[in-house]
Amino acid sequence: MAFPEPVLTKRIPLNPADRKKVWYNDYVATGGYKQLRAALDMSGQDIIKTVTDSGLRGRGGAGFSAGQKWSFIPKEKKTTHYLAVNADESEPGTFKDRHLMEWDPHQMLEGIAIACLATQCDIAYVFIRGEFHHGTKVVEQAIKEAYHHGIFGNNVMGTGKKIDCYVHRGAGAYICGEETGMLEAIEGKRGWPRNKPPFPAIAGVFGRPTVINNVETLCCVPHIMERGPAWFKTMGTPSSPGPKLYGMSGHLNRPGVYEHELGITLQQSIDMAGGMKGGAFKGAICGGISMGVLAQHQLDVKLDFDDVRFRGGCLGLGTAGMIVMNEHTNMVRALRNCVRFYAHESCGQCTPCREGSAWMKKILDRIVDGYGKARDLEMLLELEKTMGSMPGTTICGLADGTAWATRTFINKYYDEFAAACPEETTKRVSLPISRGNREVATPMGSNTR
Amino acid sequence: MPKITVDGKNIECKDRTNILQACLDAGLERPYYCYHPGLSVVASCRICLCEVEGIPKLVPSCQTQVRDGMVVHFNSSKAVANQKQTMEYLLVNHPLDCPVCDQAGECLLQDYSYEYGRAQSRFEEDKAKKPKKDVGLNVLLYSDRCIMCTRCVRFTREVSGTSELYVDGRGHKEEIDIFPGKPLNNKLSGNVVDLCPVGALLDKDFLFQQRVWLLKRTPSISPVDAGGENIYLEWNDGKIYRTKPRYNSGVNKWWISDDTRYAYKAVNAPNRLRQAMKTELGMPTACSFNDAAETAVAKLKQIVVDHGQGSLYAVLSPMMPCEEAHLLGTLIRSIDPQATLVLGPVPRGDDDVFMNYLDGSETFRIQGEKVPNRRGVERVMQILGGKTVDFATFIASTSGATKAGWIAGGYLSDWIGTELPAPLKGGFKVVQDILPNELTRNADVLLPGAAWAEKAGCWENYQGAMQAFDAAVPPPEGARVEGKVFHKLLGRSGMYDAAAVRVSLGEPFVQAVLPTEVEMAGEPAFEFVEL
Ligand SMILES: Cc1cc2nc3c(=O)[nH]c(=O)nc-3n(C[C@H](O)[C@H](O)[C@H](O)COP(=O)(O)O)c2cc1C
Ligand code: SF4
Ligand code: SF4
Ligand code: FES
Repeated sequence: MAFPEPVLTKRIPLNPADRKKVWYNDYVATGGYKQLRAALDMSGQDIIKTVTDSGLRGRGGAGFSAGQKWSFIPKEKKTTHYLAVNADESEPGTFKDRHLMEWDPHQMLEGIAIACLATQCDIAYVFIRGEFHHGTKVVEQAIKEAYHHGIFGNNVMGTGKKIDCYVHRGAGAYICGEETGMLEAIEGKRGWPRNKPPFPAIAGVFGRPTVINNVETLCCVPHIMERGPAWFKTMGTPSSPGPKLYGMSGHLNRPGVYEHELGITLQQSIDMAGGMKGGAFKGAICGGISMGVLAQHQLDVKLDFDDVRFRGGCLGLGTAGMIVMNEHTNMVRALRNCVRFYAHESCGQCTPCREGSAWMKKILDRIVDGYGKARDLEMLLELEKTMGSMPGTTICGLADGTAWATRTFINKYYDEFAAACPEETTKRVSLPISRGNREVATPMGSNTR
Repeated sequence: MPKITVDGKNIECKDRTNILQACLDAGLERPYYCYHPGLSVVASCRICLCEVEGIPKLVPSCQTQVRDGMVVHFNSSKAVANQKQTMEYLLVNHPLDCPVCDQAGECLLQDYSYEYGRAQSRFEEDKAKKPKKDVGLNVLLYSDRCIMCTRCVRFTREVSGTSELYVDGRGHKEEIDIFPGKPLNNKLSGNVVDLCPVGALLDKDFLFQQRVWLLKRTPSISPVDAGGENIYLEWNDGKIYRTKPRYNSGVNKWWISDDTRYAYKAVNAPNRLRQAMKTELGMPTACSFNDAAETAVAKLKQIVVDHGQGSLYAVLSPMMPCEEAHLLGTLIRSIDPQATLVLGPVPRGDDDVFMNYLDGSETFRIQGEKVPNRRGVERVMQILGGKTVDFATFIASTSGATKAGWIAGGYLSDWIGTELPAPLKGGFKVVQDILPNELTRNADVLLPGAAWAEKAGCWENYQGAMQAFDAAVPPPEGARVEGKVFHKLLGRSGMYDAAAVRVSLGEPFVQAVLPTEVEMAGEPAFEFVEL
C-alpha cells in the first residue's frame, strides 16, 4: 500500500499560504470535468459498477459502500430521484468537508453530477451546515459557474440530460446531519430523523428515491472514474481502500486537514500533524466524538473502518476527525464536554436519548463539580447501555454516539474516573437538592470546585 | 388475514396493520404512548418496542407491519428491559404531582409505572423545571408533565389542520408551545386534552373539579348538531362534569367538537326551569306538575269541543328524541285527530370543514345544522301523517285556524327570540322547555322538561344513522322527562321505557342501540374504578 501523491487535495496545497480557490477555469485547466464528459457516455449501471469495484466506503461516518448504496435506487425510473449531499459537517472535531468545499468546490460538483447520472437523479441538494457562511458562498458561486458552463441545467454538456443542483442551508443543528433528519430539513420541516424502513433509497426526500452521500465520498468519485478501481485500491487497506482526509486537531504542533491513505496508524497521523504539543499522548477521539476514544496504548491502531472498531474498541473510524489530547487533559471534563454536546444536540424525539443524555450530563456536571460518588460510574455505564447500545432503542445513531463516547472514556480511563468518584463513606451527606446550595459538606470533605 | 404469535398467544390481524394495533384489536394490552390510531406514526416514545424473531434489533411495534407467521415478544428480557428503562427515563423529569393532577387515575404514565416502573428513583439531580402555559380558550398546558409524545402536535396538523401547536427547542429542553399570537382556539381544540396520555394538556373547564375515579360514564350523543357525535357523559352525584368522545368509526371517529364538549353546561345551568305553572285568573301561578299537566289536557279538550277539530297544533322540536316526538304527536292527535304537527325551528349555519395540513384531505366536519334530530322528527311526523308543516310555514300562516297548542322546546339556548311570532302570540299554549325564554314567560301552562342528558332516546343524524343515548343524570327537582309525562297522559300502563317505544315504532328506529358494557370496555378509553 502506498500513497505517492495527494488525490482529493491535489489542487489544495498543504501550505495555507499557497492555497488559492479553484474556480471553474482553474478546475478545467487541471483536468476537471473530463470524467463527467466520460460518464455521460456510460450507462448508469457501468458507473455504479466502477464505484462498487473500487470499494469506496462512505466518508460521512457509517462507512457504507457507496456503490452498493447507489444500486439500491430503483433501476426503473418512475418518478423524480434526488441526491442529497450531506455537507452538514457538525461532528465535533470534523472539518474536512469544509476544507473541500471552500477550496475546491468543483471537485464536489463533478462528483455530484456523476452520482446523478449513475442513479438517474434529477435534482441534487447540497445541505450545508448553517455556520458555514463562507463555504456556502463559495459553493453557491461554483454552482452558478457550473450552470453557466452547462454542467448543470437542462442540457448537461450538450447531451440534453437534465440535472439541477441547489444549496440548502441548515440552521445549525447537528441532528440535521443524520441522513433522514437532513431529508426532513430539506423538506422544510423540523430535522427529526425518520424511522427506517422505509429507507431513503425507496422513499427519501418528498417520498421519492433519494441517494445520500457525504461531500468527501462524492469528491472521490471523479478520481475513481479517472484512474479506475484498481488504482483506487492501491491505497488504503483491502477493506477500506482509498485516500482519506484526516482532520487533525487538539494538542498538536500543526493541526489541520491532512490527506493520506486509509489505514495509517494513529502514531503516523500524529506525526503527520507535527507531533504532540505540550506533553505526551494520552488519548485521541478518533472520528468525531461519536466514535469514542483511543487510549494511550492504542497508538498502533490502524485508522481504517475496521481496525478502529475491532482492535480499537470504538464504534468505527467515523469521519477521521481526530482530537488528540496530551497527558494534561482531564478525561472527566473531556467526557463531560462530549456529553454536554449530545444533551444539547439530541433532537428530543426518542425518550432514551432525550432524557438519558441530559441525565448523563447532569451526573457528569456533578462529578466535575466534585460531588462524584462511586455509584455514579455504574449509573453512567448502565444509562449508556440502555441508551444506545441495545440496538433499536432509538431512531437514529446520535444516542449510539453518546453511548460510545461514554463507554470508551469511562472504561479506558477508569482510574481517573474512579478517583473523581470516591467510595462513599459512612459519613455520606445527602446531596444538596438545588444547584445553588452547594455549600453543604460533601463526601470529599470540601468543595473542590 | 395474517396470523401472528404475541407472547405465546396466536392472534389474527387485519392486513397491513401494525403489531401494536393488532394486539390492541385482539384485546392484548401493550404499553404505548405516542401511537394513536387516528394520527400518523412517529414511533418516538420507544416504550412499545418488541422483539420479533429473526430481527436482531428491537423494533417499534407501533410502526412495524404484521407479517404472517411473525413471532413477537413483549415479555422477553430485552423488551422488558427497554420498557423499564423507558419508564425510568420518562419519570426522571416528571414532577410526580399526581395528587394535584387532573389526569391522575386515567394516566398512562401512572398505569405503566405500576407495571414497568421501579419503586425508587435513581435520579439524584435537579429536575428540569418547565412552565405552565395558557395555550387557548379551553386548554392549559403543564409543560413539566409532558412526555413529548407529540400526539397533540400531530392532531393540530393532521386532523384540525390548524397547526397551532409545535415543538419548541430541542432535546431535554424542548416544550410544546403555540406560535406567538396564535392560540389553540380551533373548534376541535378540546380533543388535544383527550389525546394527551398524561396530565400535560388540561381542560380549563374540568380543572380541579373532580377526581376521575369518582366519575361514572353514560354513553350519549352530541346534542349540538346533526353530526351525532358519539360521546360519554361523565358524572358524579347527579352532576355532569365533563364530556369525552366515544369512538365511532362511521361518525366521529375519535374526535368531538368543542361545542359538543361543553354542551353539558346547559344541563347544569342554574336557571333551569323547575317549577310547573298554570294560569289562574289571568295570573301565572305555581302548581304541582300533575296539576299543570292535567289542566293542560283538560283545557285542550275543551278548546276542541269549542272550536272543532283542527284547532290544535303541537310543535315537535328537533331536540326531542324520536320516541318523545311520537308520543307527543300521538297525544295531541288523541285530543284532536286533525291537529297540525309543526317541526320546531332548525337553525342552520355553514359546515366547519377541517383538513389535513399536508394533503388537504377532509378529516372532520362539524355539521351546519345545529339540531340533532331534524331527520328523526320528520320521520316520526311522516308516520303520524295528517297535517304537518315546518316552523317557518307555521309562523307565517295568518289563517288563525289554530287556537291552542302544545310546544316542546328543549333547545340548549334561547330559540324563540324576544318577539313571539304571531301564531304563538295569542291562544292557549302549553310550553314544555328546559330554559326560560319569551315563550315560557307567556305560557298558559308551563311544564319544566328534561335536557337530553337526563333522558333516554334516539336521534337520527345527518347520515341517517339512528343512534341511542341514555340518561346520565336525573332532571332537576320539579322537572320531568317528557316521555314519562306523555306516557302517563296517554293513559298507558307501566313505566315509560324509551326502548320499548322504539320497538313499537319498528324500523329504522330499532337500529338505535346502546353500546354494551363489553363494547364500552373494549374501547381505547380508560377504565373507571367506582369507589
Ligand atoms: C447523529 C448523526 C450525525 C451525522 N452527521 C453527519 C454529518 O454532519 N455529515 C455527514 O456527512 N454525515 C453525517 N452523518 C452520517 C449520515 O447519516 C450518513 O451516514 C452519511 O451522510 C452517508 O453518506 P456516506 O455514505 O457518503 O458516508 C451523521 C449521522 C448521525 C447518526
Ligand atoms: S436518537 Fe436522539 S437524536 Fe436520534 S432521533 Fe432519537 S432523540 Fe433524536
Ligand atoms: S402535551 Fe401531552 S399530547 Fe402533547 S406532547 Fe406532551 S404529553 Fe404528548
Ligand atoms: S408507541 Fe411505539 S414508539 Fe411510541
